[in-house]
Amino acid sequence: MFKKMVAASAAKSPWIYHINTGSCNGCDIELVAVLTPRYDAERFGFKLAGSPRHADIVVVSGPVTSQSKERLIRTLEQVPEPKVVVTLGSCPKSGNVFKGSYSVECPVDKYTHVDVSIAGCTPKPEAVIEGLYKAAQILKEKREAMNK
Amino acid sequence: MIPFLKVALSNLFKKPSTRNFPAHNVEAKPAYRGRISFDGEKCRNCGMCVKVCSPAAITRTEIDTPEGKDIKFEFDLTSCTFCGMCQDFCDEKAITLTDDYHMVATDAKDLISSGVAHITVPKGKLVCGDDCVYCTLCAKKCPEGAITVDRAAKTWSVDHDKCTKCGTCVSACPKKTLSFEDPKPQVVALDSEKCVYCTLCAKKCPEGAITVDRAAKTWEIDTGACILCGKCIDNCPKKALSFKDA
Repeated sequence: MFKKMVAASAAKSPWIYHINTGSCNGCDIELVAVLTPRYDAERFGFKLAGSPRHADIVVVSGPVTSQSKERLIRTLEQVPEPKVVVTLGSCPKSGNVFKGSYSVECPVDKYTHVDVSIAGCTPKPEAVIEGLYKAAQILKEKREAMNK
Repeated sequence: MIPFLKVALSNLFKKPSTRNFPAHNVEAKPAYRGRISFDGEKCRNCGMCVKVCSPAAITRTEIDTPEGKDIKFEFDLTSCTFCGMCQDFCDEKAITLTDDYHMVATDAKDLISSGVAHITVPKGKLVCGDDCVYCTLCAKKCPEGAITVDRAAKTWSVDHDKCTKCGTCVSACPKKTLSFEDPKPQVVALDSEKCVYCTLCAKKCPEGAITVDRAAKTWEIDTGACILCGKCIDNCPKKALSFKDA
């Protein structure tokens, strides 16, 4: 009974951790815009967590620079299971215009399984909401599978 | 106190400023650059979009068909910067960046826009007629940089190895003087000095178009029956046969 209550509330409160791996800041601004009153992702329970240890959904932006690669792996390790990884924009998925650069070690797929990818450069806030909503559904499924 | 109260009261009866997004779809602003749509019917495979794409998000795969070529264009939206250069540079307006921004997928394959262009490659070479005014427009438009025009010296030349016969120059020419010439009709010709009248060519000809008289040392070909297959040329032991312009 108590466990069910926790599961039901956790499904309605997915916490996001945002990691920037060398992004141009465009996607980061749009993600923050999603949390403002105009788009208000908190309607679905999304809340920006300060620490990866508190997060359910990890949003990755940027083309994974050599400097941030280690940090990305370390951060992803700290996120407790079940976790959902969302890539924001073109960069983390392919490197975008930076692909082939000596200092870029994309895609994120090399280091972790990507559950949802949001395309766009940058994605419109509405597309980000759509992606996060999809991620929350995947998170719910993963948690149900884990609790069985 | 009073103006402050006015604002407070008016805000109390205002609708919330939050957009009720998933319940009510929000249209993108005009000229928004979203999901790419590609019309293969219009494309003529000049390759300009591939050249101008800075993140190299466009891939072409060529498949040979009896009529010409089938070319599959794939636009990887997870690689695209949505700069719109491919759309701007497409002379045929085959590429459009639509206002569809709902580009969310769990599988990256869903984020690839693709289309197939059916291309008929002209057989003849590119030629320039007498009406040329040496405006250099064809050279500027050529995606391969195969055309060289010297305005001062009034010369026009094309590198046939580089030319892909896409036809961009033909439609760009203001004088309509560029064209692909018809391939010249050819015939099989004999070098009578090399021929030993062995009759091998006559035996190998699938149409029976060649008659050779060993005793009289004559060689004749019925050009109407000849299908220019080249079997006689390949089988001639003395290499006395060849294709020649009629």
